[in-house]
Amino acid sequence: MSIVLAALDTAAAARPVLETALRIGQLTGADVEAVHVSRGRLESIETPELLAARSKVPFRLLEDPVEPALLAALAAPEVLAGVIGARATPGGRRPVGRTARYILEHANKPIVITPPDAIVPSSFRRILVPLEGTEASSRPVLERLRPLLVADVELVVLHVFTDATLPAMLDRPEYDLEIWGREFLTRHLPHATHIELRPGPVAKQVAEVSGEHGVDLVVLSWSQDSSAGRAHVVWEVLGTSSVPVLLLPVTPVEIEDPVKGSSP
Amino acid sequence: MTIAPSGGDRRLGRWGVISRRHRAAAVPDETFEALVFDWDGTAVPDRQADADAVRDRIEALCAAGVHAFVVSGTHVENIDGQLKARPQGPGRLYLCCNRGSEVFEVTGKGPALVARRTASTEEDRALDRAVEGTVERLQARGLDTKVVSQRLNRRKIDLIPLLAWADPKKAEIALLAEAVTARLASAGIADLAEVVALADDAARAGGLVDPRITSDVKHVEIGLTDKSDSARFAASWLAERGVTGRLVLIVGDELGPIGGVPGSDSLMLVDTLARATVVSVGIEPGGVPDPVVHLGGGPARFIELLDSQLARRAARRVPQVDPDPTWVVALPSARTKERVAEALGTLGNGFAATRGNREEDGPGTSLLFLVSGVYTDDNHLLPGPTWTGLELPNGHRRSTERRLLDLHTGTLVRSGNEGTGLRSLRFVSAASPHAMALRAEALLPRLEAGDPLQQPGNTVDFEREDRGEVRMARTGRTGGEIAVAATDRVGTVAGLRVVERLAAWFACAGEESFDQAERRLLEVDAMGFDALLAEHRQAWARRWADAEVVIDGDPEAELAARFAVFHLLSAAAETGEAAVGARGLTGDAYAGHVFWDADVFALPALAAIRPAAARAMLEYRVRRLPAARAAALSLGLQGARFPWESAGDGSDATPRQVRGRHGEIIPIATGPHEEHIVADVAWAAARYVAWTGDAAFLAGAGRDLLVETARYWASRITTDAEGHGHLFGVEGPDEYHEVVDDNAYTNVMARWNLSRGAKLLAKTDPGSEEARRWLALADGLVDAWSPERGLYEQFTGYFDLEPLLMSEVAPPPLAVDVLLGAERVAGSQLIKQADVLMLHHLVPDEVVAGSLGSCLAFYEPRTAHGSSLSPAISASLLARSGQPERALELFKMAARLDLDDLTGTTAGGVHLATMGGVWQALAYGFLGLRAEGSQTGRGTLVVDPCLPTKWSALGLTFRFRGQPIGVRADHDRVGITCEAPFLVRVADRAPQRCNPPGATFALTPPRRGRRQR
Repeated sequence: MSIVLAALDTAAAARPVLETALRIGQLTGADVEAVHVSRGRLESIETPELLAARSKVPFRLLEDPVEPALLAALAAPEVLAGVIGARATPGGRRPVGRTARYILEHANKPIVITPPDAIVPSSFRRILVPLEGTEASSRPVLERLRPLLVADVELVVLHVFTDATLPAMLDRPEYDLEIWGREFLTRHLPHATHIELRPGPVAKQVAEVSGEHGVDLVVLSWSQDSSAGRAHVVWEVLGTSSVPVLLLPVTPVEIEDPVKGSSP
Repeated sequence: MTIAPSGGDRRLGRWGVISRRHRAAAVPDETFEALVFDWDGTAVPDRQADADAVRDRIEALCAAGVHAFVVSGTHVENIDGQLKARPQGPGRLYLCCNRGSEVFEVTGKGPALVARRTASTEEDRALDRAVEGTVERLQARGLDTKVVSQRLNRRKIDLIPLLAWADPKKAEIALLAEAVTARLASAGIADLAEVVALADDAARAGGLVDPRITSDVKHVEIGLTDKSDSARFAASWLAERGVTGRLVLIVGDELGPIGGVPGSDSLMLVDTLARATVVSVGIEPGGVPDPVVHLGGGPARFIELLDSQLARRAARRVPQVDPDPTWVVALPSARTKERVAEALGTLGNGFAATRGNREEDGPGTSLLFLVSGVYTDDNHLLPGPTWTGLELPNGHRRSTERRLLDLHTGTLVRSGNEGTGLRSLRFVSAASPHAMALRAEALLPRLEAGDPLQQPGNTVDFEREDRGEVRMARTGRTGGEIAVAATDRVGTVAGLRVVERLAAWFACAGEESFDQAERRLLEVDAMGFDALLAEHRQAWARRWADAEVVIDGDPEAELAARFAVFHLLSAAAETGEAAVGARGLTGDAYAGHVFWDADVFALPALAAIRPAAARAMLEYRVRRLPAARAAALSLGLQGARFPWESAGDGSDATPRQVRGRHGEIIPIATGPHEEHIVADVAWAAARYVAWTGDAAFLAGAGRDLLVETARYWASRITTDAEGHGHLFGVEGPDEYHEVVDDNAYTNVMARWNLSRGAKLLAKTDPGSEEARRWLALADGLVDAWSPERGLYEQFTGYFDLEPLLMSEVAPPPLAVDVLLGAERVAGSQLIKQADVLMLHHLVPDEVVAGSLGSCLAFYEPRTAHGSSLSPAISASLLARSGQPERALELFKMAARLDLDDLTGTTAGGVHLATMGGVWQALAYGFLGLRAEGSQTGRGTLVVDPCLPTKWSALGLTFRFRGQPIGVRADHDRVGITCEAPFLVRVADRAPQRCNPPGATFALTPPRRGRRQR
């Protein structure tokens, strides 16, 4: 049986992490397990353990140090995905805390980052998938996200126009954008029900569209390379999203062979 | 030997270097539509041999639709006396005799002369002098020869008049060559080539300008014609029927060199048959030139060739196309470009069209069959049952495939699948409008016919009925209905499954659609696939005769331009009414609605290359005059107000609003405000008349269009206290600026419309008060010309907007409203497309003389080209203004717009307005064509070319005032062909009469970037 691993700390942000994990479990048909890394100092594990117990979720204590312990737990073959809090408090300086960042950069599984102030609904019905219109960004979603989903869920694609994809001509925007969008979906995510086409910046549009459409989860693919071009978009989205964000790691082979330039 | 005539070797041409390899090769595994073959030594061993086997097969091939041309040096009695064929058709048999001097068609009644080259008296004398001179020269070298015969248009000299070699057999050719060479050597003559050179010299000295010297080793002949003339006749005849290149098989036995000179059959390898498949069944002691296939085997092998062709026909094998790179477009094969490929590969005949989907594509793809003018209740083109579906079980490997759209013959062919060996060819008949057909073959068991008719997408109303082997389906119910009937023939041959499908459509409302579709299918079935394909090819050949585009020096531009013309020709029928939507019938984008794209962009091209189709497009507008009148009346106005978007009933089909990104309602301004369409329709009618001289139309329905639209403007204009007329609250072609006052384009077009309408009124009623009033209104209508600036102001207040240039934003083309936001752009001088400049394109006589340059200099840098309609128009104007290099950049953008999917929306259908604009840029821009003078009387064609450096020449064919015209311009001259006298004005010359067959005019000074008008 597959497992979604919820990494709980002692902060108030642990609750939305666990709730997110439960929703991901519903979407994927996986069980949920909560883990907490003991730091070897005096700390109360009451919060994470109690949270897990109240949700009837198995709880496991891991040994310090935090990042290697979480990585090792995530590496277990039965683990489908991990859920971790973005940061301890809503007003944190960085978009994600050190631990979350480390996990994102090193885990080779899908990781969901939950904002500390996320209000998690009872089920995830609508997922936002920002796509840049390259095969490198859409293929992981097509190949990895779709097979994961066992529950009915609406996929909404967001495309923020780039230099490469900004339409050269729109004879009649009321028709052409619909055709353009339909073709984009057919090429990149045929199962999606709807596409939003916006001019940039990306993070701002992700937040706007999430709000407008009542999105429950945002899905991004990324290279796990913080120095790479799109990484800043990932951090911006993580820093501004009010809903959980699932990141799909892209392998180097997938990145090497993008389809460039041809819109949609 | 073939002496290269002055002007280069026109015969060997690309055939190049002689190959000494002796190759054992297989009979070509392709279906040919025509055979061009030598007689003696190829079809028969000698002229006394029994030819029954050949006759039977030639007659059978002609019955199967194959055309045959016998090319021989002897006379018709010899050939027909031996062959004795009496074909009944549909394939034709021609005997090209007497070494290129005569052509006979052979029917059930025997041979009948169709062409003969007759020497003039002086030419006959020159031939005599030539042969005398040759004999003398040879005698002087010590070689005795004998004049054998004086045949039609030639003289023949025997180089070895010895009893031993009185009548050598073809099989002895090598020995004969040795003997002749030895005899020549004894006279100090190196080889046959020297004899031929000597004969040529004598011929020219005797007064022959273009002597044709050939040798069959034993003889040397001096003539006015040779086998190349026969080959050219065959090539020309076949080309008129769309049979070119690889569709032709040439067979000979002397294609390679013999005795040091090219074989006599090599004369058949003319440039107009450059891509034909050529095989030799001869011994070919000197090898054969590339790419001749050396089969050997003599006449027995020739019989095998004929048998293989008969077998292919009997097995209904998939025909081929001529993969001429100047005529075929390879459809994109990438998975992500699948729907783009479907749009690009759409086949249509103006009445109906089928997208270029793969045969195995089913529901969920954008498989589409559409019939022009058939809409659903909510004004979308009704999808008909799709008919191209086949089942392709396992092993299919799309990645190895090629799909080619053959523009020349209007066919879509698929081949190269290494998994299944799948090949297919389909067409929508250009000759029998209701007929459609496809053939497919693949390795067993990789292909099944499956269900021939499928429900399109999510169409609700879909009904089936089977009547024996005829399967039928229909879509639609109330309003429009489309029925398709289809039948399959499935066979197996040599490990292949072959499927042949014939289909017929019928569109109507009512119960009888199945009966009608079945009836049409029976007609189609009676003709058969091969006959349908032959008439379809011929129909396309006729279309191209009036629509040819040649761009020397730029094959990419030439192919793109031909692609554009192909889709224009496919978009509109020639009878009834033609509702030509923005994307034609190539997709469901824009729901098939008709915009000014049809009137101003597509129609002008069709008026020249297919006038009847242009007339049908106007008929669409004529039949919607009642709705246009009602629309005007509903606004409290008079005359006819055509809607911005039009569909079935002529009412306004323009959407009124769209939901914004935040769910807010955004009104669409085009419907209520983009009224220039009214004048555009009138202009289209006038343009059609100017090119065709159709006086009857101008006196009848055309008059109604021009007068009623003028009447609308007369009621629409608001006159101020000073007596100036205004058009408030309109939208011009530049849709970045909605709802403006006194848009220059709208106003000047309205002024033109009023003047033309007044003129027509006055013609029948010289004292017409209404006409007088219209002229006064036209005079008073503001046109926004600013003498101080030397510019037209696009609309009131335009010059006060933010003076933004595209160079400050991003390189065009660009939907700059998406980048900067609609509000910012509306507050700037950036424009979507040519607006003021459209006036210089459409009504250059209505604008201030010499203002093109200043308006181009001002507006072009502000043009985002955010519309597919834009680049071609700018290209045309830039060429006219003497900027051909910049024009070429924009021309290429337009020409490649769909091929490169520049807009990202080609998947929804190709952009017909762009395609019309491409042709207009070639014609009105680079060639500088204009119609001057009387509308319906004898007009004058102006030709004023300005070509970019890269183009060494540009040629177009089209129709002008009812006759076919060809214009070909390079940088120094203009060549014109015609069939009847007409007036032409080249550049700044005075008009002069051009008599058939045509004339050439020098351009002084030569044209490289000059001219501004």
